[in-house]
Amino acid sequence: MKRALIRYLPLVILALAWEGAAQLNLVSSLALPSLSHVAAAWIDLVRDGELLDNGLISIYRGVAGLVLAVIVGGGLGIAMASSRALDALLKPLVELFYPLPKSALIPVTVLWLGLGNGSKILLIFLGCMIPVTIGAYNGARGGDHALIWSARSMGAGRLRMLWDVLLPSALPELLNGVRTALALSFILLVSSELISAQRGFGYLIGYLGDTGAYAGMFAVVLTVAFLGFAADRLYQMLIQWLLRWRE
Amino acid sequence: MRSLSIVLLLVLWEALARSGKVTPFMLPPFSAVVGRIYTDAVAGQLWLNLGLTLYRALAGFFLAAGGGIVLGAAMSRVKPLRWFFDPIISVGFPMPKIAFLPIVMLWLGVYDVAKITMVVFDAIFPVVTATAAGLAAVDRELIWSARNMGAREGELMWQVALPAALPQILTGLQVALPIALIVEIVVEMAMGGYGLGGAMMNASRFADSRGVFAGIVEIAIVGYALVRTMALIRGRLLAWHHEAEHR
Amino acid sequence: MCNPVDAAAQIVIDRVTHTYRPAYGRPVLALSDVSLHVRPREFLALLGPSGCGKSTLLYLVGGFLPTEGGRIAVDGKPVTAPGPDRGVVFQHFALFPWKTVRANILYGLERQGLPRAERMRRAQSFIDLVGLRGFEESYPSQLSGGMKQRTAIARTLAFDPAILLMDEPFGALDAQTRALMQAELLGIWQRARKTVIFVTHDVQEAVYLADRVAVMSARPGRIKAIVETRCGDRDPNIRHSREFIDKVDEIWNLVRDEAIKAQDSVAP
Repeated sequence: MKRALIRYLPLVILALAWEGAAQLNLVSSLALPSLSHVAAAWIDLVRDGELLDNGLISIYRGVAGLVLAVIVGGGLGIAMASSRALDALLKPLVELFYPLPKSALIPVTVLWLGLGNGSKILLIFLGCMIPVTIGAYNGARGGDHALIWSARSMGAGRLRMLWDVLLPSALPELLNGVRTALALSFILLVSSELISAQRGFGYLIGYLGDTGAYAGMFAVVLTVAFLGFAADRLYQMLIQWLLRWRE
Repeated sequence: MRSLSIVLLLVLWEALARSGKVTPFMLPPFSAVVGRIYTDAVAGQLWLNLGLTLYRALAGFFLAAGGGIVLGAAMSRVKPLRWFFDPIISVGFPMPKIAFLPIVMLWLGVYDVAKITMVVFDAIFPVVTATAAGLAAVDRELIWSARNMGAREGELMWQVALPAALPQILTGLQVALPIALIVEIVVEMAMGGYGLGGAMMNASRFADSRGVFAGIVEIAIVGYALVRTMALIRGRLLAWHHEAEHR
Repeated sequence: MCNPVDAAAQIVIDRVTHTYRPAYGRPVLALSDVSLHVRPREFLALLGPSGCGKSTLLYLVGGFLPTEGGRIAVDGKPVTAPGPDRGVVFQHFALFPWKTVRANILYGLERQGLPRAERMRRAQSFIDLVGLRGFEESYPSQLSGGMKQRTAIARTLAFDPAILLMDEPFGALDAQTRALMQAELLGIWQRARKTVIFVTHDVQEAVYLADRVAVMSARPGRIKAIVETRCGDRDPNIRHSREFIDKVDEIWNLVRDEAIKAQDSVAP
């Protein structure tokens, strides 16, 4: 406990410096509203439901897109690892789309599905599929041969093998791919909502900025940033729990 | 063999576009998109946008690279620095830092400085992390050997530690480069103006679907070229590394 | 006595203690009241079971670890930092992987202020000495274990230290390469008589190479016994002689109990 306190102390110092600088008027209160103002604005936004309404929309979009990406991408990766034909056919395509900055897909999804949920979910689905596919593929490829052979010699059928042997050994890489996809989903969500949306976190940030409610804008920005951080940490704990059999 | 898949994909694209099952708005034929790229190239538009995007993304990347390596090196040598920045980096890494774009716009406007700042802000994290980790992992016997041969303290970082950590530092740079491009594109879409991202966003607003698809193809090529170039540079710089032996 | 009695000790290790302080966990006493004198130009083996602190003692003499308890002096001066007067050869070679064989060897020479032509000449002579002619431009990743160690030895010899500190230098090599390297090292040492402290856990290796063998106890390490093993020149067929086998037996008996104790103790 004490160790954690010491570790995160610099953040506390920064927060105090922020409040101090604002209170002492070292910076214009327009450019940097004081931390206490931001906190107050945050409470207001929660109270009048703005934060929650927009937040839930964003979370819905993110989760939907990510879940689709994991299911389809994961399935694709495992299929590619199991079938040489599929591998030969699809690997060049995966390698082609891997270096594409996924944010380039924002305009086309807007073109197809407008400003609403659909375009955001499609964007996250398309963008996050690649890291999951790669993770699943690498994980399934790297299956411990000794494990597979001993399972086979004990008479395990294909499906059984998949569940008992391949999936657990593929899990670490797959879970890592999902972690990348998780971070990417936040980026794509926030980006697309900042650029073209009528609801959601990103939209709310833009709206507050346009109307000069900077304290509120800061509040939502920090909320989103924190959510991204928290999601990653929680996910890491989940991975640790799932992989607890590993040394 | 690998180009076969890509050719197949393009043929599919063309066929689907012409089949009448989708409108030319939803999916313009590949040939039309190529034609559009060609006209843009001849008119000079393409080079202008490409040049601007590359300039800003690379400027941000090099600043992030230099600053990140310096900070990572400083962190590995100066304990208080490491204590101070460690939570900032570990908390900041998984945050969707793009959420801070409106704040950056508030402080720095909408011109190049703001765009490049945003790129640096995002791309510096993987560089710092990789540099600090690489330096921490340097075999202490290498340092001892150098001291044994009379190297002075100041020479150790430059002559021994950094070269030894180079593989990991380069990996960090290889992660930072695509990030720089992604962020630059998003930032252009949000701020408008010239650049590949800005042009795509304009095309989207004017329902110019050929323009949108042309943008995707152009950005895909740029992304691919940057990743390949980085890999080639890595191969050259690390010719001595044992991974080169596994080629 | 085989070496001249009047030889004053070149390296004085006087009642040295050392505590190992890990980042997590309790401190461990590694060395306890170790005293040892090393005579000029003698080959001394430091022998003991794993964990007995023999490498730690070597690093203290090398100046890589600070002397906390006791005193270490080389040529009358206390040891405070590493320096080119005490050349070190590590078990895992510690070669700079981004430099070629030649560049590695030149590194030590560059710090001595010699003119370039002289540096190149000396580097080449040591490359030839260890039998690596033709591999000057190779990188360590392209070399076998034995070749890497030869490069490491050449690199250390090149800057002409009066003292050689060798930390189980052949430990990472396969048995055949090890035997060849031992013979080569002996040959090199007989040509350029330096003072050598050679750390090992291999009794045969110690008796084969050394003038004297200092046997260390299990952790916390102290000098249990010092055995004279050689007088006069080495016979290359020494391994089969009655004398050799008897010496090995004698020393192994000293080490055995310590080795058992080391096995039973918890790893640090």
